[in-house]
Amino acid sequence: MEFGWNEELEAFREEVRAFLAEFDTPALRTELANRGEAAQLGPQQSRLREALEDRGWVRMCWPEELGGEGKSQWFQFVMTEEFARREIPYGSGFGTMVGPAIHRFGTEAQREKYLPGIWANEITICLGYSEPNAGTDLAALETLAVKDGDEWLINGQKLWTSAADTASHVWLACRTDPEAPKHRGISTFIVAMDTPGISVRPIMTMSGGRTNEVFFEDVRVPSDALIGEVNQGWYIIANALDHERVWIGAGGGLRHIFDRLLAHVREKRPELLEDDAIRRRLVELELDLDVMEGLVLTNASIVAAGDTPTMEASMSKIWTSELRYRISSVAMDLLGQEGALTEEAGGFAPLRGELERTYRASPIQRFGGGANEVQRDIIARRGLGLPR
Amino acid sequence: MDTTLSETQRLLRDSLRDYLRNEVPFDRIRELERAGGIDQPLWEYLRGGGFLALPFGRSHGGEGGELTDTAILLEELTRRACIIPFLETIAAALALERHGDEALAAELVSAVIGGSATIAPALQAATPGDGAAPRIVDGALSGEVRFVDYGAEVTHHLVEATDDGEPGLYLVDARAGGVSTESLSTIARTPVAHCAYDGAPARRAGGEESLRFLHRAGRALCAVQCLGNAQQALDMTVDYVGMRVQFGRPIGSFQAVQHHCANMATDTLAARFLAYRAVWNLDQGLATDREIAKAKALASRAATEVTMQAHILYGGIGYTEEYDLHFFSRRGKERALAWGSADECLRLAADTLDEVRPWQ
Repeated sequence: MEFGWNEELEAFREEVRAFLAEFDTPALRTELANRGEAAQLGPQQSRLREALEDRGWVRMCWPEELGGEGKSQWFQFVMTEEFARREIPYGSGFGTMVGPAIHRFGTEAQREKYLPGIWANEITICLGYSEPNAGTDLAALETLAVKDGDEWLINGQKLWTSAADTASHVWLACRTDPEAPKHRGISTFIVAMDTPGISVRPIMTMSGGRTNEVFFEDVRVPSDALIGEVNQGWYIIANALDHERVWIGAGGGLRHIFDRLLAHVREKRPELLEDDAIRRRLVELELDLDVMEGLVLTNASIVAAGDTPTMEASMSKIWTSELRYRISSVAMDLLGQEGALTEEAGGFAPLRGELERTYRASPIQRFGGGANEVQRDIIARRGLGLPR
Repeated sequence: MDTTLSETQRLLRDSLRDYLRNEVPFDRIRELERAGGIDQPLWEYLRGGGFLALPFGRSHGGEGGELTDTAILLEELTRRACIIPFLETIAAALALERHGDEALAAELVSAVIGGSATIAPALQAATPGDGAAPRIVDGALSGEVRFVDYGAEVTHHLVEATDDGEPGLYLVDARAGGVSTESLSTIARTPVAHCAYDGAPARRAGGEESLRFLHRAGRALCAVQCLGNAQQALDMTVDYVGMRVQFGRPIGSFQAVQHHCANMATDTLAARFLAYRAVWNLDQGLATDREIAKAKALASRAATEVTMQAHILYGGIGYTEEYDLHFFSRRGKERALAWGSADECLRLAADTLDEVRPWQ
């Protein structure tokens, strides 16, 4: 048990900070502000990404058999945290999740075909998981893939496919055995989005972002689009989720919102800090942030020790997503009517509209990525061992 | 950074846990609660096993271990509802060893390790109102302190007092003339006394530094006690709802029950992180009053909410004196209030909000 950082990690943190100071330019900021939810990286972000690759920081913590250096997961944690501190997105979309799956379950030829492109961000990926009748119950998915000679014939519909309009490929879960129990009849494919028969319809969300539904009508893909064995898909999906799940709850941005709120109040509304009740509400939020940090670090410790967190990851996901709602809601309350101002209100809007925007976007964190009720089931059953 | 227990820490925890399970039955705790006094055989075991020596320096005959190791022991003792002045003696002796009078520290720490001394901190913060705050007049101590844990059971008191307006810590032989104690009945049923000093002989043990350390150590370690009560109630509840059958199935299979357990487990794990981090930082000389106050506030809430939710899930059996759950809900609430309640701690944090700097 140890709650400090050792010298090696401190030194690495300094290295990452210097790196980010160099790349955090006004040009990058402008590019990020106008990026939307595109899967591709803009020129500035690509430059940053290449520099990360050059330093060997992208896959340094992966196991050697997945092409990494097998370094302690704490290096990844420190890097993610430093990116979060500057609010610069670190990842390249879903590639970081699908890449390891292809590496582990694909053939040699598939690895050569896809992995260099994924690491270079030339291949960008959207996730074809959810469907109209398969949300939280993902294994109920119905999009059908049928073997037809050397090809697979795909028909069906995917929903909530974010970045489908910009990604080059979709990582697609299809039913390949309708007779088998639902978890045992699913396979995973990687499919180019420009394949004939694929059409994308936009869905605008209340966060202001775009997601999509994607239709597959007699889409023909070659047999090597299948990754892994036929009907092994559920296992591959679960494995890919495990790879990223730990970091979902990292939530570094929330600490920033609190800092900005405090700075705003100190500068523009100092009279609020004279009020005992308001100071107390601020401290409650700060304590909630401490809890978030504790859960995140507990998770990271388990990963660094070579184990897989189950209930701890769920706790972190629940806490962070609920706090995202709570922190924005309480902050808006504290400020009174000015809390309702959006970014478009210009100089009048506190925190340039960030509180309002966070509040509006907060529901997806709670119902998405495995609804919080399901996370509580996981804590109780997989973590505490309670019966079904 | 590593929140997991080391192999050594796991062995340490398991060895004490096994001993307590085998040698300290809950009926003995019941008997002690009725009769008063402390668990002498247990204290003798801790002394003999070298557990009392863990956090002290080697020059004083200690093991030079980390304070988190001692906190792990404290959590186990709490999870068995043990009645011994472990937190009190360790925190007081450490305040002396690290920031107090050197000669006195050498004498007292050796006596603690050897089992001949036990110490109760008597701090003004525990006394409501202005009362007759302890002060030194002509080298002797006079005044009153309420809520001195184990005040009537220990060999020494370490009293917060002023000498000509200057605050400090003073060591008093509890059996000396001029010391009187009156036992107070609390929800915890553990020994606590209102202590009065009337010209009691007192030796100056330390100044503001040692006083500050004692307040911090007591509060951080008490957060671990809060956590221990919550963890024990949680674990007992998970076991119970997993086997209690109603409507033809274990009640732990109902989602409503499961979600309560999930929330209890989350609150407990979060309290664990903050409490142990506070102890570790204190040990390293890095802790602030603010950080320790927040850790205690969170642990106090867990000690209250998790233990009382346990009663709701248990139903009637957990409500009886015969069953063991009430040890943890009663003790949990009392520890939630000792060394600063959640409200008192959060008030401190709210009044020092200007210490918060942007994340960097």
